[in-house]
Amino acid sequence: MILIKCPYCGERDQSEFANGGEAHVVRPKNPENLSDKDWGEYVFFRNNPKGIFYERWVHSHGCKKWFNVVRNTSTDQILKVYKVNEKRPDLTDFENTLKSPSGEPIVGSGNFAVKK
Amino acid sequence: MSAINNECSYISKNKISFSFDGKTFYAYEGDTIASALLRNNIRLVGRSFKYHRPRGIYTCGIEEPNALVQIISEHNEPNTRATIKRVYDGMEITSQNRWPSLRYDFGAINNILSPIFSAGFYYKTFMGPKGFWKNLYEPLIRRSAGLGKPPKNFRSKSTHQYHNTDVVIIGAGLSGLAAAKKFINTKYKVLLIEQDSYFGGILKNSNKVKTINGLTPQEWISETEELILNSKNITTLKNTLVTTYNFTNHLIALEDKFAGKKIDLNKSELTLHKIRTSNTIITNGHIERFISFRNNDLPGVMLASSFEKYIHRYGVVPEKEPVIFTNNSSSLSLLKKLVSLGCKPKAYVDSRKKDNIETEIKKILKDNDISFFSDAEIEGCDGNKKIETITIRQGKSFTKLKSSMLCVSGGYNPDIHLFTQSKGLVKWDKNILSFKPDTPFQKTITLGSTSGNYNFKKLCDEINEKLSILKTKKVSLDINLNVPNKFSIKELWETKKKSNSNWSKSFIDLHNDVTIKDLKQAITEGFDRIEHLKRYTTNSMGTDQGKISSINSLAIVSKMLKKEISEVGTTTYRPPYAPLSFAAIAGRSTYEFYDPERKTSIHSWHLKNNAVFEDVGQWKRPWYFKASENETMHQAVQRESKMLRESAGILDGSTLGKIEIKGRDALEFMNLMYTNAFSKMRPMTSRYAMMLGEDGMIKDDGIICKISDQHFIATTTSSGAPKVLADMEEYLQTEWPHLQVYLNSITEQFSTFNISGPKTREIMMKVFPNIDFSNDAFPFMTFKNFDYKETKIRIMRASFTGELGYEIYIPPKFGLELWEEIFSCGKEYNLIPYGTETMHLLRAEKGYIVIGQETDGTVTPIDLNYNWMIGKNKKDFIGKRSLSRPDTSREDRKQLVGLLPINKKDIIEEGQHIVELNELPKKITNPIKYLGHVSSGYHSPNLNHSIGLAMIRGGKNLFGQKFFVTVTGKTKNIPVEIVNPVFIDPENKRLTS
Repeated sequence: MILIKCPYCGERDQSEFANGGEAHVVRPKNPENLSDKDWGEYVFFRNNPKGIFYERWVHSHGCKKWFNVVRNTSTDQILKVYKVNEKRPDLTDFENTLKSPSGEPIVGSGNFAVKK
Repeated sequence: MSAINNECSYISKNKISFSFDGKTFYAYEGDTIASALLRNNIRLVGRSFKYHRPRGIYTCGIEEPNALVQIISEHNEPNTRATIKRVYDGMEITSQNRWPSLRYDFGAINNILSPIFSAGFYYKTFMGPKGFWKNLYEPLIRRSAGLGKPPKNFRSKSTHQYHNTDVVIIGAGLSGLAAAKKFINTKYKVLLIEQDSYFGGILKNSNKVKTINGLTPQEWISETEELILNSKNITTLKNTLVTTYNFTNHLIALEDKFAGKKIDLNKSELTLHKIRTSNTIITNGHIERFISFRNNDLPGVMLASSFEKYIHRYGVVPEKEPVIFTNNSSSLSLLKKLVSLGCKPKAYVDSRKKDNIETEIKKILKDNDISFFSDAEIEGCDGNKKIETITIRQGKSFTKLKSSMLCVSGGYNPDIHLFTQSKGLVKWDKNILSFKPDTPFQKTITLGSTSGNYNFKKLCDEINEKLSILKTKKVSLDINLNVPNKFSIKELWETKKKSNSNWSKSFIDLHNDVTIKDLKQAITEGFDRIEHLKRYTTNSMGTDQGKISSINSLAIVSKMLKKEISEVGTTTYRPPYAPLSFAAIAGRSTYEFYDPERKTSIHSWHLKNNAVFEDVGQWKRPWYFKASENETMHQAVQRESKMLRESAGILDGSTLGKIEIKGRDALEFMNLMYTNAFSKMRPMTSRYAMMLGEDGMIKDDGIICKISDQHFIATTTSSGAPKVLADMEEYLQTEWPHLQVYLNSITEQFSTFNISGPKTREIMMKVFPNIDFSNDAFPFMTFKNFDYKETKIRIMRASFTGELGYEIYIPPKFGLELWEEIFSCGKEYNLIPYGTETMHLLRAEKGYIVIGQETDGTVTPIDLNYNWMIGKNKKDFIGKRSLSRPDTSREDRKQLVGLLPINKKDIIEEGQHIVELNELPKKITNPIKYLGHVSSGYHSPNLNHSIGLAMIRGGKNLFGQKFFVTVTGKTKNIPVEIVNPVFIDPENKRLTS
């Protein structure tokens, strides 16, 4: 269970929050003008990278406020928390943080407890 | 052949008694079950998991694979480790996995049949025939395999406690205490956690350390403990085991509040500590490992350091004349202790070459005339339910000795379990022949033997150096030893077998009865990856998680695969470190505290009037009301439905979600959230509305009351209310933050009654004589506010039954009073209460849909033919664009239709398929064309035949056509006609007049 720093309430356990998927996916202003494909992209497609990810969280068992988080999905490290109306931080701000817990598996899955 | 008592300061002199398998034995206060049994010369304590082989006490701690018992006096707690559970006066214990008794176990036949129970046995054997698994194999296996019996009753027995600290020290042994000492009176908040009820670890469990800073180990422990207890910044927890090490330095530890005491049913026995810390120091030491040889599971085989621990920690010498078998230098302290007690080991067998064995060992053996075998190993041992003879191999010669105990030491493994749980990396160390912590992933520090440092002289420097990143005090440790300071070990994992028989086995996992032969077989069959091998053989998958054997199996496998151990790797360590009960995790979240029940203000009245309840979300809603004791649900629903359309009925609708929407931009917001257009809607009118997802599918429905452009009240489905409110909040905060709108859940601020039926107007006039209920003054889909007694009420003209109806909103405080008033006024009109089932039947007669019944997340308003609800002229609303996607505008989508049975006696069942065949083939070989499904099916008492609502492909164009509906358990289908899904009052005369 990770710790998340709600920008309104402070550090709380993960269990107080709900994840809202990828951040910065803006609802199109004029849906009618979009092609079926472009609208479908907005409705159905989201990124799911291993590594740095911009995502939305809501303090659902607290202040109920939505905010954005930059998280390394392979280590669960939270690199930045910012409000919805704040500027999206650059990827270059987070260099050298892409170290997964134990490097990549050497043999098969789950074998990552050993370093060569 | 018998145990003797030894002076020991950790065990009280108070004698107590307990029972094991019905017989009474004595113990001293402070004893564990295992130490007490050994004191009484009981060595056979259980039967093994698969082969039902006799098993004894193998270790003296959490790592125990064999001695699991059932505590009868603690609501049947099964699989308790005898080596850590303390006895108390009157405790009742039984052995497990044996029938009819521990000595004569019928299941032991499995051992003779063992050639067929090899690795992968279940996967290969129980392949068929069909039905045999469920009816024959599984019940049989469940009865003969496994461990204790489950507890009889579940009860909540733990509380949870939260900690936020700077430093957690796991384990208060030598390194843990020394580390804690560094934090005394510093600015750090420290939590020191010890699994035992005493501090000291190796200092109290052995005599390996002679003196520290000139004090005896005991004096040093007392002095240090006092300093720690007097330090305000350090909290200590004893009898507490850290089971889990999660991300962000989150630890879970379980405290046994009743260690050594009879449990008090009025108190919680366990505390689950949830700890968040900045730094974690792991000092939980090491675990001794065994060596595999022939019959290395016989009662009487015990790890050498455990034998030592029984002497020092529990004051019992399990056997005066054991044989010692070692491959390393650490067994010297045991030898010394035994000799000092006047006990003479039968033999000392060391696999190391004579030149590599410490001179001190050789001198003691010579001085005391103890048989010494160097460069030798135990070939195996034999005996009936206990060790009788031990065979030693030295070169080509064999020596048979008579002894009843064998102390084995195969070396030490740093206890890396928690370190790897925290995602730290481990690495193979050739000097200690084990994995040790390498790179931590979190702020984790390992000290002492946990870090692979077996050199006591270097401990002080290690602690001072590794903790230098924190501002702590310097400690000094001047340690004198009883064992050689330099740890020396020779690689030895298994010994060679002389003879072969079915009974003789070399175990690699004692708990799950995995033999070395099983490992070989699995590799031959191609399971050469360690994770696969583990699952195929179940090696180290027992409740002990292979604590004394998993490294051995890695080594043996690496030899078979001709690879380095570091190449083979370890399997993944996952929490928990040791088994913990589900009740401990549940804490107080049990029964009604786990999932609260929500009740309306009328609940007591429902109970008095024989309501049968249905759970809707967390709400308790009346399902139907029993008019008499013998009335069935069907009869009740038919009666309620008929009575309502003849006179009137009233439903407690308080559970419906209600959300208040207020603010400058409320109108714009509502236009975006719902499909309907609210701009031209007059104030104080209401409208049935729908909410979609961005994919165009129906999410929720309800009635929207417009008070003004700046103030709306939306009702939602009973279970959908929290989600609808959360969705509204999400859009307001993330997509339209410029809209000035405020949302508030007002579900519980009102009791809501839905009263409907032809006699409703008369009843309402009688209850509220001052209100004009005429059709002109109070038309359909309008609402008004009134003063009523000392409160205010809102009445809306709406209906979900298709009859004339009103909804009354009143503060819950006055709800029950008004409800009873309505009943006293309604008596002369035969007013009846009705439940949700009747509501569903009546709305189906009228062709109204229910969210989650007609809709299932794949239905658009167009599919329901509710095009009139879509504000086509609105520029945008959620899901609008999706309604013109190629998939949502397909002609052959499943669409809502009504079903009428052609033979009026046929019953249309909910959930059945709609097909073109009047009869299904006996054996279905080709797929049958599927047209749709019955979403609602009822017997209508008002039409006197069955009716159905269905979702059928291209249904809108099929009105008047004949299809068939399948029937449960039959091949003959029911012929039905597709009709308009409104069976009663299609002109809405009843609603609007």
